[in-house]
Amino acid sequence: MIEVKGLWHIYEGGKEALRGIDFDMGNEIVALVGPNGSGKTTLAKHLNGLLKPTKGEVIVDGLNTKEHSVAELSRIVGYVFQNPEHMFFAESVFGEVAFGPRNLGLSGEEVEERVRWALEKVNLEGYENRTPYSLSGGEKQRLAIACVLSMKPKYLVLDEPTTGLDEKSAESVRDIIRSLHREGHGILLITHEMDLVLELARRVVLLHGGKKIFDGPVDEFFSLELRDYGLDRPELLRISFSIGTGFVRTVEEFVGRLAR
Amino acid sequence: MMYNFYVERDSVLHSLDPRVKLAGSASAVIILLLFNSPEVLIPLFFLTILLVYTLGKITPREQYRVLKPLFPILIITIVVWAFVYDPWYRGALIGVAYGLRLLTFGLIAFSLLMTTTQRELILGFIKLKMPYEYGLTMTIALRYIPTLYMLALNIMDAQKARGWEMEKGNILVRMRKMSAVLVPLLIASIKTAHELSIALESRAFGARKERTFLYTIEMKGRDYAALLMTGVILGIALYMRYGLGFGHIKLY
Repeated sequence: MIEVKGLWHIYEGGKEALRGIDFDMGNEIVALVGPNGSGKTTLAKHLNGLLKPTKGEVIVDGLNTKEHSVAELSRIVGYVFQNPEHMFFAESVFGEVAFGPRNLGLSGEEVEERVRWALEKVNLEGYENRTPYSLSGGEKQRLAIACVLSMKPKYLVLDEPTTGLDEKSAESVRDIIRSLHREGHGILLITHEMDLVLELARRVVLLHGGKKIFDGPVDEFFSLELRDYGLDRPELLRISFSIGTGFVRTVEEFVGRLAR
Repeated sequence: MMYNFYVERDSVLHSLDPRVKLAGSASAVIILLLFNSPEVLIPLFFLTILLVYTLGKITPREQYRVLKPLFPILIITIVVWAFVYDPWYRGALIGVAYGLRLLTFGLIAFSLLMTTTQRELILGFIKLKMPYEYGLTMTIALRYIPTLYMLALNIMDAQKARGWEMEKGNILVRMRKMSAVLVPLLIASIKTAHELSIALESRAFGARKERTFLYTIEMKGRDYAALLMTGVILGIALYMRYGLGFGHIKLY
């Protein structure tokens, strides 16, 4: 359980990025949305202690982030940054994925086992000896997820995991997210892509100007006046709402409704 | 992150042509190098503060802020001179003077940067026949310092999230650990530079040998007056030092 209580964050220079956020999540898929500069990343960086609260507190599985280092918290909350290349430095995919577990001080055998497991999870078996920078965009994103996954965190923060990927690569990333959720991981999805929200999330948290505007089920979220927050409904919902078939999550569901 | 020192004011220094200010700064540096006696260097330091305040409207408080990072050097200089010179109090005094001379150098450089925009400064260099490409290189370098700084912070965050801790271990371990930040930073910088070169070329960079400028600078009457005054002051200083033998002491 991640608990955020009355969280304020004021950056050096006085910018109030978060103004009193209350939020908690378990092993569910939560979409964190909001316009640029609304505080999404600032909030997410509090969950693994990269940022410490100015006021209020963040408790991760009973650990107060103020009292624990990022390295300790990284065993519980994994954070996959938006640009995968910003973390690649090893000569091989294997070395890259092994970096996290090695930092945790695990034995060689354990590290190797975790690397194999993580690479299998993201369908990158057989890539061990490739250079991270030689991979395609989608593969890089999956490798980034594997790098964090190998630390076996219970929660994962994914920052724009499908942005800039072609449909096939995006679909494989979505599959990975779904399977991780099935296995009991809690996933916080930071995104601007409303299609992704519709397809994956059960719950949506909307931030605006450092405040939480909305926190609830995805169908309720899409009935909000989203244009006020610089967002919009996915095409599928706009069609579905305008012909009166109501909230649907997928095209299949929509066609099913129409057929009835 | 401080990278642009410029402060907007309505002052004499701000309104002068950058070439005059460059000449003034160079003369001030020469004058400082002429003298080595504490009796001259210490007053010169305070005179510089006063001049930067009256001519540039940069308050002593603002001057203090930019000079603060140099204070350790001042202290080291005083301590070292007190140790190596006999008697020690005379050494300490020389240390104070030499340390303050360093601060004065800093003050001159900072006052130039605080009263001149980057654009003006580079225009000044170009008008002094520096090739335009060098000016552009300088502008880009200055422009990218904060960008790369932000990128480095971001990369550090990404690696911290993988259990990376720079604070742990001895110096060799730490240096090895830095590769986790330096490699992505280097690759991202090279990529940025490459993209920037494509962007520049796609905007016809280098299509004309002689570049024209939208904003330009011109020497006016007061600029020539200031330049003349700088020359006179430099001349007086040279005469005092070599004609009268003033302000120079034999240390050993």
